[in-house]
This record gives sequence, C-alpha cells and structure tokens, in this order.
Amino acid sequence: MMSVYRQYWRINILTTLEYRENFLIWLGFTLVYHGSAIAALWIVLTRFPSMNGWTFRDMAFLYGLWMLAHALHNTLFSTVGDIPDHIRDGEFDRLLVRPLDTLFQAIATPGQVFPDELILGLITFAAATWYSHVQVDALFIVFIPLIVIGGALIDLAFNLVISTVAFWFVRVDALRWIVIQLEQEFTRYPVSIYSQGVRLLLTFVVPFAFMNYFPASFFLHKAHEASALPPAVGLLTPAIGIIAVAAAYLFWRLGLNRYSGVGH
Amino acid sequence: MAREATYRFDVFTSIASVLVRVYLLRMVWLALYARNAAPSDLPLHAIITYSTVALLMGLVMDIDQTRALHDKLHDGSIATDFMKPISVPLYFFADGTGEVLFHAALIVPSLLFALLIVHIDVPSLPVMGVFLVSFFLGYLVGFFINFLLNCIAFWTLEIQAMQLIVTWVTDLFGGEIIPLVIFPVFLQRIAFLLPFASMFSTPLLIYVGVIKPERYLQVLGVQLLWVTVLAVIASFVWRAGAKRIVVQGG
Repeated sequence: MMSVYRQYWRINILTTLEYRENFLIWLGFTLVYHGSAIAALWIVLTRFPSMNGWTFRDMAFLYGLWMLAHALHNTLFSTVGDIPDHIRDGEFDRLLVRPLDTLFQAIATPGQVFPDELILGLITFAAATWYSHVQVDALFIVFIPLIVIGGALIDLAFNLVISTVAFWFVRVDALRWIVIQLEQEFTRYPVSIYSQGVRLLLTFVVPFAFMNYFPASFFLHKAHEASALPPAVGLLTPAIGIIAVAAAYLFWRLGLNRYSGVGH
Repeated sequence: MAREATYRFDVFTSIASVLVRVYLLRMVWLALYARNAAPSDLPLHAIITYSTVALLMGLVMDIDQTRALHDKLHDGSIATDFMKPISVPLYFFADGTGEVLFHAALIVPSLLFALLIVHIDVPSLPVMGVFLVSFFLGYLVGFFINFLLNCIAFWTLEIQAMQLIVTWVTDLFGGEIIPLVIFPVFLQRIAFLLPFASMFSTPLLIYVGVIKPERYLQVLGVQLLWVTVLAVIASFVWRAGAKRIVVQGG
C-alpha cells in the first residue's frame, strides 16, 4: 500500500494547485473514498444487522459526524500539513524571522481555503442525521457545532504533531497518510468492539473516540457497555479538542526551538 | 543513507499497517458474529482467516508495479526506451518485479506477527496448492489492470486519482476485505462478473473452502479467461499508445 500513500499526496498537491481543472476528479475521488467506506458498512450491516447494538443507521451518524469534523479541519487547517514541505524547501525560515507567531502564519496562508469538502461534509452529516433518526433537540443544536469544532481541533492536534516530527524526520507524508487511514478506519466502528487496551488508547492517548464515538453514543442513547465513563462524556469533545491542541502546541514549540537553535 | 532509512520505514509501515488491520478486522468480525446469525458456510474462524490472508495478499497485490511506465512518460525518457532493441513491455514487467518480490518476502514476517493476533486456518496441502495457483492468476489479473491504468498516461498524465478510485472499487468488488458471499445477492451477481473478483475473492474462497474441489477447474478457468482478455486489451492499448509517442516524437 506504500505506493498508494505516495500517490495520495501527489493528488493532494495537484488538486489544490490546479483546483479548477481538477474539481471533477477531486469530487469523484472524494465520493468514491467515502462512498466505498459507507458502501462496505452497508453491505456488512445488511448481512449482520447489529454491531454491539449499533445498526447501520447508527453507524451512518457515526461516520457522518467524523466526516464533518475531518472536513472542517481540512478546510481550515490543511496548511499545517504543508509545513514539512516548507521546512524542506527552506521557505519555512522566512516565517521564523517575522514578528508574528510562526504557527499562526502557517495557518493563515492565504488562498488555501476551499469549502467544497466542508459542503460535502455538511450534506453528508445532514443526511446521516435525518437517516439515523437521532433526536435533534436543543441540546443537539447547541452541542453538535461545538463537538464538530472539537473534533476538528483533535484532528489539528495530530496534524500539528506530525508536522512537528518533520523537524527531525523531514519526510512525514507516509506517516500522515497512515494516521488518517487509521483514524478513518478505527472511528468507523463503535469503539466498544475493541479490546480494553485499544479502547483506553483511543480515549485517553489518541482521543479519536471523542471525535465521533462518545458524542454519537450520547445522542443515540447507546449504553456504554464497555466503558465506566458516563454517557455525557460525549459532550466533552470541545474541551478534549482544546487540550489536545494545547499539548500538540507544546510539542510544536519544542520542535521549533530545537530547529531554530533557541534554547537547549 | 536517507534511502536506507526510507526503506526501513517502508518495511515497518507495510507490516505494521497489515497487523493493525488484522487486529481491526478480527474485532469487527467478533462483534458482528456475537449478535447475528452466522453464514452457514463461513463460520467465525473462516472469516477471520479470510480477512487475514486477504491483508497478507494485499502486500503483493496493492503495488503499482508498472509505475515506471507512467514516470517515464512523465519525464519523456520513454522515447529512448523505444529505441532499445528489447521488448519494451517486458522491460516494465521486469522493473516492477523486484518490488513485488520484496513485498512478497514481507508476507513471511507479517504472517508470523499476525499469528500472535489471530488464529488462521490452514487448508490441506492440495487445497493450498490450488490456492497458490489461483493467487498467481489473480496477481496477473491485477498486473494487467495496473498496466492498463498506467497506459492511460499515454493520453493524459492525470492518472493518479483514477488509479486510487480503481483501487478502492477493486478492493470492494474484489472481495478483499468483505467476502463476496456476504454481499446482497444482486451485488454478488455484479461482482462475480467483474475481473476484480478474480484478484482476491477466487483465491480466498478456495483457501477457506467455500469453493469446493469440483468447482476448481471452472473458477481457475474464469481467472485464466480474464488474464487472457486483459492481456489482449493491454497489447492493443500499448500499441496504440506507442504509436502516439512515436508520431509525436516523445
């Protein structure tokens, strides 16, 4: 699968650079990527209707919630993923000498915000919300946007950590792709199916479970069979997102200081 | 030195991603089989075996082995290759073979580590033999599809997106992770008509015994048919593409 990883990043660059001409290809690409994931879920759940008490409708909501948070991240923070390239081609040093915070500059690079993925994410989430019959009450309307933002922040935290690794190992494309793949694959299913070690990992170390599983469990009223945590923990996602970014930022500063020769 | 580091990293990530997915699929099937009626011909241990062997096969099958063709078209060096006396398609075949053999070698450590995570069934020796033949034929089907995709580069260099799209469709309809026999019947019928089923589903279903010995000749025949059809198409496409290069002057 390694050649696939390389190709994915070539496409990423291609589509952002030649956006207009390649829009259809990008759309086809994204539709097939998510479509085949959802199709696989549908096929399996048609034959095996219940996965730890979750039905296909439930899993559609689970996937939609992850997809929206991921899309929001890609729309706002994808430039953080470009940092390793800038480090490699020397562009990054320009940011260091300017008075503004380096990371802020990297995020605020103009011309990179394409809303298409976000629009697709919103449409999918809306469809999944309707399809899953989840109760859209005041709590839902207030908290879901916060949870989606929190999820995007969790994604940002990992994006930042991987980009920081570039200070030591310049080539991080494959690592990034692996993390995204694993994120997508492990959040596709309810976390309760995993063994305890993995559940703990996905909750406290690599908090992907907060991107969609815990919030979805809460709003779908799923019993936490495998967890000692109360259901309302799903509402904590925004806080987890902030904590994750803060931790990632600390790591970023460590890498930055080392890179620019400041400090020990 | 950097190349060595990348090499080691590639090995590590290839094996690691197989093992992580072996674990993931084991937990998925465990959860699914716990609360739903199992298919009569595919008990839990069989489907876990199926998915694990599929992932190991993927180490070899998911490679872009004729990538050199696209790269050479991209930088124009293919023009000089056409002037060489050796048959150019064979040249590309040989170029990718090293990578394939390397990944095939990765199957061994991956398998050993996988056995720490799951238990897989081992068929009898004759069945294993037929499986290996079927795997090889499936590999050839995949090779020609990969070759055809890279040939599109003769006309447009924008093939990467299409390659990825085809890979995902192939994985789904090839029965790489989800056995085709689990599919709803109408989708099964479509899937079995496509060449992708020959890549994964046929060898895997032989391995787990869903395809019984009396059907071996039939299914191997279908695979061979696809290999032939795709090889013929590939030679036509190659000739058309080569003509284009020669006429345009590289």
